[in-house]
Amino acid sequence: MSEYQQFLSERDKIDFYIQKGYRIHQVKEHLNGATVEFIHPKGNVSETLLIGNANARKYFSSLLMKQKQAGK
Amino acid sequence: MADLRINLAGIKSPNPFWLASAPPTNSGYQVQRAFEAGWGGAVWKTLGDPILNVTSRFAAISFNGQRVAGFNNIELITDRPLDVNLKEIYETKKKYPNHAIVASLMVEPKQEKWHEIVKRVEDVGVDGLELNFGCPHGMAERGMGSASGQVPELVEKQTYWVKEAAKTPVIVKLTPNITDITATAEAAAKGGADAISMINTINSLMGVDLDTWNTIPHVAGKGAHGGYCGPAVKPIALNMVAECARHPNVNIPISGIGGVSNWQDAVEFMLMGATGVQVCTAAMHHGFRIVEDMIEGLNNYLDSKGISAVTDIIGKSLPKYSDWGDLDLNYNIVARINTDVCINCNKCHIACEDTSHQCIEMLTDISGKSYLKVREEDCVGCNLCSIVCPVDGAIDMIETPRELPPMTWNERQSVINAATQCKADITK
Repeated sequence: MSEYQQFLSERDKIDFYIQKGYRIHQVKEHLNGATVEFIHPKGNVSETLLIGNANARKYFSSLLMKQKQAGK
Repeated sequence: MADLRINLAGIKSPNPFWLASAPPTNSGYQVQRAFEAGWGGAVWKTLGDPILNVTSRFAAISFNGQRVAGFNNIELITDRPLDVNLKEIYETKKKYPNHAIVASLMVEPKQEKWHEIVKRVEDVGVDGLELNFGCPHGMAERGMGSASGQVPELVEKQTYWVKEAAKTPVIVKLTPNITDITATAEAAAKGGADAISMINTINSLMGVDLDTWNTIPHVAGKGAHGGYCGPAVKPIALNMVAECARHPNVNIPISGIGGVSNWQDAVEFMLMGATGVQVCTAAMHHGFRIVEDMIEGLNNYLDSKGISAVTDIIGKSLPKYSDWGDLDLNYNIVARINTDVCINCNKCHIACEDTSHQCIEMLTDISGKSYLKVREEDCVGCNLCSIVCPVDGAIDMIETPRELPPMTWNERQSVINAATQCKADITK
């Protein structure tokens, strides 16, 4: 899979949760990229994604910044 | 005609082009010829206890047909008696009162030695002093030059001693042979320096002869490291000037040195914070008259920009120079190949395929003609293809429409750390 295809795949997974109302709760960075924990405000349901692609890691970071700004 | 005059910490000159302390400023004869050619100032070849030199002394690197891309020397400071130099400085200053003459000085790190030479040199009418804390060879083995200049405490102390005696502005010339040049720049400022200059030469061995196995240069079969300069060191010097210029605790004028070969180089150094520049290798390569093109080019550039005084450009690019952590991670450019200009040499394809991100495809159109195309979604905008391309205009680096808002590494880490520590605001 090309880097771009990998990006699209990981971005779609991130968008899937965001569109369902999940919010990024925690990010753990490690040697394989980042594990992103999502939590749904209603019901406190959590999901995690391993995001390895560099552009996808930029992507969720931008979403997290946006989320923080909206939360201010 | 723009005003090219500069004033470096009180040292005035008719233009920003000075000759650096080096072989071109060894004697009154040379400095006077330089002033006749148009140089605005000269830093006299370093004065101190006269030394003994060896032969041979210089070596150069030629790269792909460019002669003197880099230059190396193992010559030391002046080998002429101080009185001879002082007499010539006096005569030169008398003849050229509006040109800047700065005396480069190097003595042992002792207070009385500095006081003595400062007094004697200022008595003949120099416009300023430059303390040579940078020469990396020969003198360093005797505890002077870069041996002094690599220790911030010694830089501060000696600058302080000089300032105790000096009546003229004191420039401290810094060595690049140090991990962080801002440490010694700050020490110079603490010691009371009126200005700093950089860079002196870089420790170097130019080569080894494959037949004789002698070093280049060698002296009767033995070599020693020398000082490297010339066009090859310009990027190193430019960064060091910029780092000092933006350092909050340095805050004194800078004389830029290191590979300045033409007016464009001078503009770059001044945009990055230098008040003026010093030149050596280019003059040694092409002669004093290169300053004519430098003056004309600088003047035309300023006129074309509508800038009336060269001092107006000092430091203008500094706000654009920052730390990596402040760069926008979401800014994107991609390569685009102009097939009407491309000669299909495939260098970009090879470079990208072998050493970058494998995004330049070799394709064939319906007429059977081969062409190259960038798969833009996989291009990381590294610039390598446009760097190796031998044809101007064949590859453009194009900004792509922004998909995400600007985000720096520092901003990213801030929100990620906050999320990690506080588990964000989701639980609120």
